[in-house]
Amino acid sequence: MAVVAPPSRAIRPELVINQTHAAVTRDVVATLEPASRGYLLLLGLAVAMFLGGLTTFLILVKDGLGHAGYTPPAFWSVYITTFVFWIGIGHAGTLISAILFLFRSPWRTAVYRSTEAMTVFAVMTAALFPIIHIGRQWVFYWLLPYPNQRWLWPNFKSPLIWDVFAISTYFTVSSTFLVFGLIPDVAAVRDKVTGWRKQVYTLASAGWQGTDNQWRHYSRAYLYLAALATPLVLSVHSVVSWDFAASIVPGWHGTIFAPYFVAGAIYSGLGMVITLLVPLRRTLRIEHMITDYHFDNLAKLTLLTGSILFYAYGMEYFVGWYSGSTFEQTTFYRRAFGSMWWAGWTMIICNAFVSQLLWFRKIRTNLTALFVISIFINLGMWFERFVIIVSSLSNDYIPWAWSNANITWADWGILLGSFGWFAMWFLLFAKSFPIVAIQEIKEMIPLPRKRVGGQH
Amino acid sequence: MATGKRGRRAPGVLASFVHVDAAVDAIRALRARGHRNLVVYSAAPFHEIEEALDQSVSPVRLFTLIGGLTGCAAGFGMTIWMSLDWPLLVGGKTIASIPPYVVIAFELTILLGALSTVTAVALLSVLMGKRGISYDPAYSDDQIGVFVPAGSDQAGPVEQLLRSAGAVEVRRDAA
Amino acid sequence: MAQRMTPDNKPGSTPESTMDRRKFLTVVGATSGGALALSGCSTSRVEKLVPYLVQSEDQIPGVATWYASTCTECEAGCGLHVRTREGRAVKLEGNPEHPVNQGKLCSRGQASLQGLYNPGRIKAPMVRSADGRFSEITWDDAIARLSAKLTEAGGKVAVLSGAGRGTFSDLLAAWTSALGGRLVRWSPLDPEPVRAANRQVFGLDQLPAHDFGSAKYILSFGADFLDTWLSPTENQRGFADAHGFADGDVAKFVYAAPRMDLTGLNADEWLATRPGTETALALAIANVVAGLRGAAAPVTAALSRFTPAMAAQETGIPAERIERIAKEFAAAQPSLAVAGGIGAQHAGAAQLCAAVNLLNYVAGNIGQTVRFGAELDAGDGYIALARLGAAIDGGQVAVLLVHDANPVYTLPKAAGFVERLTKVPFKVATALFLDETAARCDLLLPQHHALERWDDLAPRSGVRSLMQPVMEPVFNTRPAGDILLQVSRKAGGALAGFTAPTWEAHLRGRWQALAAERKEADAEGFWRASLQRGGVFDEPAAPAPVALAGSATDVAYAKPAFEGKGDFVFLTYPHANLHDGRGTNKPWLLENADPVTKITWHSWVEVSPETAKTLDIRNGEILRLTSAAGAVEAPAYIHPGLHPDVVAMPLGFGHTEYGAYAQGRGVNALDLLGAPIGDFMTYLSTRVTLEKTDGFRKLATVEGVPRQLGRGIAEAIPLAAAKRGLTVKEAYLEEGHGEHEVNPEREVAALKGWSEQQFQMTRHGDYTRDLPQWGMAIDLARCTGCQACVTACYAENNIPTVGEQEILKGREMTWLRIERYWEGGEEPGEPVSARFVPMLCQHCANAPCEPVCPVYAAYHTADGLNGQVYNRCVGTRYCANNCPYKVRYFNWYKYNEMAWPEPLQLQLNPDVTVRARGVMEKCTFCIQRIRGAQNQARLEDRPIRDGEFTTACAQACPSDAIAFGNVRDPEGRVAAIKQDPRGYRVLEEINVGSAITYLAKVLHTVEA
Repeated sequence: MAVVAPPSRAIRPELVINQTHAAVTRDVVATLEPASRGYLLLLGLAVAMFLGGLTTFLILVKDGLGHAGYTPPAFWSVYITTFVFWIGIGHAGTLISAILFLFRSPWRTAVYRSTEAMTVFAVMTAALFPIIHIGRQWVFYWLLPYPNQRWLWPNFKSPLIWDVFAISTYFTVSSTFLVFGLIPDVAAVRDKVTGWRKQVYTLASAGWQGTDNQWRHYSRAYLYLAALATPLVLSVHSVVSWDFAASIVPGWHGTIFAPYFVAGAIYSGLGMVITLLVPLRRTLRIEHMITDYHFDNLAKLTLLTGSILFYAYGMEYFVGWYSGSTFEQTTFYRRAFGSMWWAGWTMIICNAFVSQLLWFRKIRTNLTALFVISIFINLGMWFERFVIIVSSLSNDYIPWAWSNANITWADWGILLGSFGWFAMWFLLFAKSFPIVAIQEIKEMIPLPRKRVGGQH
Repeated sequence: MATGKRGRRAPGVLASFVHVDAAVDAIRALRARGHRNLVVYSAAPFHEIEEALDQSVSPVRLFTLIGGLTGCAAGFGMTIWMSLDWPLLVGGKTIASIPPYVVIAFELTILLGALSTVTAVALLSVLMGKRGISYDPAYSDDQIGVFVPAGSDQAGPVEQLLRSAGAVEVRRDAA
Repeated sequence: MAQRMTPDNKPGSTPESTMDRRKFLTVVGATSGGALALSGCSTSRVEKLVPYLVQSEDQIPGVATWYASTCTECEAGCGLHVRTREGRAVKLEGNPEHPVNQGKLCSRGQASLQGLYNPGRIKAPMVRSADGRFSEITWDDAIARLSAKLTEAGGKVAVLSGAGRGTFSDLLAAWTSALGGRLVRWSPLDPEPVRAANRQVFGLDQLPAHDFGSAKYILSFGADFLDTWLSPTENQRGFADAHGFADGDVAKFVYAAPRMDLTGLNADEWLATRPGTETALALAIANVVAGLRGAAAPVTAALSRFTPAMAAQETGIPAERIERIAKEFAAAQPSLAVAGGIGAQHAGAAQLCAAVNLLNYVAGNIGQTVRFGAELDAGDGYIALARLGAAIDGGQVAVLLVHDANPVYTLPKAAGFVERLTKVPFKVATALFLDETAARCDLLLPQHHALERWDDLAPRSGVRSLMQPVMEPVFNTRPAGDILLQVSRKAGGALAGFTAPTWEAHLRGRWQALAAERKEADAEGFWRASLQRGGVFDEPAAPAPVALAGSATDVAYAKPAFEGKGDFVFLTYPHANLHDGRGTNKPWLLENADPVTKITWHSWVEVSPETAKTLDIRNGEILRLTSAAGAVEAPAYIHPGLHPDVVAMPLGFGHTEYGAYAQGRGVNALDLLGAPIGDFMTYLSTRVTLEKTDGFRKLATVEGVPRQLGRGIAEAIPLAAAKRGLTVKEAYLEEGHGEHEVNPEREVAALKGWSEQQFQMTRHGDYTRDLPQWGMAIDLARCTGCQACVTACYAENNIPTVGEQEILKGREMTWLRIERYWEGGEEPGEPVSARFVPMLCQHCANAPCEPVCPVYAAYHTADGLNGQVYNRCVGTRYCANNCPYKVRYFNWYKYNEMAWPEPLQLQLNPDVTVRARGVMEKCTFCIQRIRGAQNQARLEDRPIRDGEFTTACAQACPSDAIAFGNVRDPEGRVAAIKQDPRGYRVLEEINVGSAITYLAKVLHTVEA
């Protein structure tokens, strides 16, 4: 695909409904006006959930991980499940902001800022879990290759170290991408607001004036950043999948894991995007920028990735059977009919089946339906990870050691806490920065010309 | 600094346009008159303007390349050296085994590539950007600004030209 | 590293000087950090710390000192080697020179250490005050009170003591008779029917020794000789020799009983007899054998009535099967039949034992595998206890002294002993722990633990086994002997004759006499030599000649009669760990699961699969058992090896006293039994009704799925195939399992080449050196699943006991566990059997746990160990996920702060790190022993000798199933065993290169 082709200039009424540059600036800056009571209520709830999670974490640090419902041989459980869940969420954001940018699909413009923010905050959430779940949280930094007195280094053969690098890279690059994209918009806001807010945005805009020289470097750099972020969409979740695939646990040890996980990640991410955008566009009153057309496209992407997932599930079972290995076969048999059948079927129904509803345009364009489906997707994807992790571990090689899953208050505390933490950041962001990309929307709206209809 | 109020302002003429084609006309005319180092403000990158100024390709890509390559080398270097520096046998695998280290190298490639790109922009467009030039908040909204560096001697004709091109406002910054 | 010596091998040292030396050790202990707590609770406080300027000869800090002693946990009287470090006992092992246990030790014996440091011990003499509470008093006061009471009691004194024959029991007897009182020596699990039968058949009132080792065919009629019967460790050793695959053959073992206990699980054939009908079976077999081997006329005549058909009628075992077994039994030479287990101790038990005596007689085993003259220690029997009860009722007892017995708990409530006790004006107990009986006494004179005192035991003729103080007493206690002597001195009068200054002096005196009897020139030398050896062990005299008594032939079979009504016969049996309940205060014995049901920490009711089916019972559902005597409730466990007519419950639970660990744990099965009628305790005596309650209690079991699902974890091979030297795989293919094709040659070759290449690529630094490669071999044909190795591992490696709640979450920490898989028994009528496999870290060459650790906490050492660095571990737990054998254990909580309440922490092995919360741990192949041996070898500038040390599990294993050593040493034992065609590796197909070779169990294929 031709990456260097300039962005399309075609006016797309389905994308931006009768707008002018001035109107765009006005409407977006309007979203930053003092918060409504509904917003504050949401924020309060989020902070409360986060504090609950924090308390749980402190108790775990004090007494040990025993409070969580670990039942050996399942030495990983809800925490790693939730970790993978959040990492997955991020991917849709990068897909939309980076890959669709390179593909020059203009419909991304209105939604990419919010999805990108979602990415950054999802990764911020996920990054907490490797620390929360380890037995001695206070020495987590031993996983980093820092020079120390005894010259001890981490083991780069361990997938967990790959994780450390993959996640920190992903976080750095995606947050850079977000901040970088924000600069011109912050400048626009700066020129509209007054008082202390002006001071803040002035600082944040880093001296941006939109001169030809700045635009020249900026557009180039943005292109390269997009090009660098693109492989991350595929690599990060592949690395996460290798946390499992590199082991010898039946049900983990699969070659399809990388693509399978990436598809799942994007699928879950899109689910979360829809879950966030539907209420967001109503509360921020930006229906004319985030239109039904956007949701239709998001739904189509969801359908695509959902169908890939459907195929992957089928493949997993096929490989399990075809392997001829009694261990693989038993694992997959028990996944469907073992003591944790309920989790297994939740995953298959929510992901493989529900996504197929999106074949119908009626459903794709019905926001309520979409919202409900997106909730199912979030649920299903969490359960996918839960099934892969806990049910596989609970019955592997030695029948004598088999156990059943068990979830306690400590698991719930951290799980809900992570949602609170994520929501808190997202809400704060939505009120402090343009949640819709001013500058890129303006690119799509032609400036007035004195020679009417004059195009040269 | 945004509005260039502080400090000594560069002498020149600042014109604001509402119509993009008018601005483009003005730029072409000025360049035809030999005015080279114009500064054009816009709320978004417009190709007509880029063409009118016929800009050279930004050198940012060089930084990206160098950063990426450095990251890749660092990745392999660090992993191999560290495992040889503390050689422990795990799972009957080679002490310095390349395949797993590819992952680290890849991640560092991306990381340093991205960071150097951003650094490049900071260097080129902000630090090296011209200072103390007049600016108008409207430029981040819906107007296009053209600043022509000109001493008091040339200022007159430039103003003239800009007005005739269709500038909605022309302001002169005296030395 | 281990230097074994007696406490006073310094010439001219007197008893006092050794006492001083031990005090000194306490000081040393106190100086060497860890033992501050010791000084905290030892009787003599440490006033000032003495720096280690003058080194005591036999105390090198960091080097263990070993003392020989004797185990008192049951009547078998096994020899001990006690490992002490800086003045405290840290581990008990068997004394290799001791004829009874020959260096081995069972779980109960090893857990004796937790009796020594038990928080439930009586810490000082106490008296019951007016308000019924106990208050501490001084020893002088206590002695004064007792002597006063004795003087005023006149002759109305009774002493109830546990069995245990030796200088003390003699002293006690003399002392009691001097007072004109009566002495009763009684222990609950004393197999009285056996002696009764010996009286009847051979006119000998004694317990013979049984030589399982040389038996070619073993028949047990409910005798749980691997659990608690007579001398379990010795029995197990012999059984393993006979039943293991040695010199190309395996003795066959048939077990006839309504319930499969640990002994039954080791049987080649299980005859599920109706409860109480084994007598008919034994007589029928004896009948057939007599016919085949031509016995004396009166005997054949006496037996002729008992045809296999009749036995089949009674027992429910097909006649032809009985015939077959009888023929096999007759053909084997020598063979051995045993009976008299507690589980089969019904009213007709004496007849059963008599029948078995005849069977052994006609089979010609008397004097061969059944050796009279050994005179195993035994009590006076329940009859004596009953007489004592009568005396109490008759007001004949003013003072009752209870020593080393707990009748209140070990007798059924219906026996009414508690009420009797209240009739005794003054009750004294010299108990170690505040048990149910002690709690009802007026005066408590806590005695020393066996590891704190001088003593000796004569468990059988020819064996006189010594005990010596291995450390400063933990609490303010005294040897029972000293108590008697001091009371005598105080009371004078009838007791004036007891003049020995101290109990130790009395014992030394006895041994001087012994030296004289044995014409030992140098009494002192003899004493020291015996002390060092652990006692005097004379060659077992040739078995006493035995002739049939007149009453021999009046053998009879009476249909079993059980009290009360109800659909089920109630069978209660001694728990393999808890014995008669004396083990229930020791966390090791509670956490180390019952070897049959694998349940920990609480009691349960066993029902047969048939019963479970008909009554729709699931594991864990609370069942209510009601008998004429009472009712109990406990969760159900479905036991495939149980006769449908029976419900079974273990003894040992339901203590109301006996320390925090034992109190309120489960229910006491004895509550269902009626008052014993006849001469001995009858445990299999009542019927019960069984009803489901709506209660449920998740069983605290360590068992996941007890089926192998064809994964070849615990492999077995038919005897015929084993004789032909086939491997498991070959035997398997011969049986025509075509689908399990072995890999084609080229693949095998490719794999070999690949792994060789991999191996070469790992050579680097230390890994290029030619170091030993440590490995293990476990012979499943010898392993009986007794779990002595597990307890040894707990003791050696400071493994925390996590308790019931954590075990419910599957968080037990057993580095070494015994997996028990059921075979067969899935369809009705299909014979059920069990296989045991000890599962521990396999120290894989390509260990999956190692590469996934992000911080190198798990790595491979240059000598082939799978290292685990606790200090480096951050607790990601990936290693445990990736371990195919599931032998890694995680510290979910601060177990190190929960498992060893004061003063239990004194038992900790100073050579092994106590793991903190949040780190992973696992079997280390006892690396501390490896390094210790290596250091010793280096000091002596020599290579390590094969077998000069071994792991704790291998050391303890009573059946010698485990071998450990350097596999690179071609002469080494392990290298040799690994050549055995029976050898296989668990999960070999995943190519992790396990360092442990298992030798497949050898099966007798039943040719029906």
